[in-house]
Amino acid sequence: MKALVLGAALAALLHITPTVVLVKRQDAVTRLLPGAEEFVARELHLSSADSRRLHDAVGWEPPDGVVTFYVGKQRGQASSALVFMRIDSQHGPIELAVGYDARGAIRGVEVTKATVEMKPWVLEALRAGLTDSYRGNTTQQAPSGAEKVKPRVGAMPGYMAELIDKGVMHANAAYRLFYGRK
Amino acid sequence: MLYDLRNSDSLVRWLVTLLLATLGTSYLFGAWMVGLYAGFTPRKVAETYGPAGETAMVMQMPPETTLVTERHVSMAEMDEEQHHVDLDLLVQDTHVHMPMYAVLAACLSVIVLGLAISRAAGLGIITLLFAAPWLDFAGMWLTKLVSPHFAIVTLAGGWAMALGYCLVAALATYQMWWRKS
Repeated sequence: MKALVLGAALAALLHITPTVVLVKRQDAVTRLLPGAEEFVARELHLSSADSRRLHDAVGWEPPDGVVTFYVGKQRGQASSALVFMRIDSQHGPIELAVGYDARGAIRGVEVTKATVEMKPWVLEALRAGLTDSYRGNTTQQAPSGAEKVKPRVGAMPGYMAELIDKGVMHANAAYRLFYGRK
Repeated sequence: MLYDLRNSDSLVRWLVTLLLATLGTSYLFGAWMVGLYAGFTPRKVAETYGPAGETAMVMQMPPETTLVTERHVSMAEMDEEQHHVDLDLLVQDTHVHMPMYAVLAACLSVIVLGLAISRAAGLGIITLLFAAPWLDFAGMWLTKLVSPHFAIVTLAGGWAMALGYCLVAALATYQMWWRKS
């Protein structure tokens, strides 16, 4: 019986907390694709060679081999794009929306989802100006948000900032390597 | 029978009743959640756990060259999250859920040990209780790695879980509160 109770307690402790929405996807789209009159989903089903290329670049590839960019269009011309990116950790997943302007520079980054446990850490990192540091960066630049906020936040918010940096790095690599593919 | 639930202390019977009621409620919400995120048909389950997207039903291997498709979407479609469990999430789900399923199966099995049923029936129900989560996750992994047709195994696991719970709940409730001898 002791083992049973211990097992139940352990299982409860190991359980990842539920996901919460920090920014609605619709709000993220409005902020990151401003002025778009129509939207196009551009899905790239990556070949093995391209998956490997992405993996060689940033140590990551989409597990199901698909990257989806949402393109905002004005008067029929692509004006901006965004990609939703999920980063997994032992505390659960974080979802980001990374937006790019017409020149391919980062327009903004929104953290759309986190878990209940991670939410206060993510919010602390955001309050310290984490996402401001990405704005205007090119896709060649390594994201350095964590480096900037770490002196001003606790250990776990610093760790969240590292995860968000990683998500931006993955999105940048996908954009740089594949966005222009026809 | 390792103990006799029929003639056990009323405190034990009350505990078991509340445990079954609580588990039953959580199973109902579990079924609701499955309906929301995965569905109850092989096709829906295959879309959730198979390779990404609807096209994945026919395209499981990576294409030889990267394939680009475009389609118009509305704001609402972008807002709608298409719930899809990819490999990383399935690893996480398996890690999180399997221990909990084991604890639930063990709790229900402890109740089975106190039921006045034949040894073979007890063995069968305990096997069913533990087989259900194995079928559930085996189906998810086979759907992911081998073929979307294995979605049926996940559905079988879900129904086995429901059947196991209903059998234990019905037998235990009947024996504890109606058939006292």
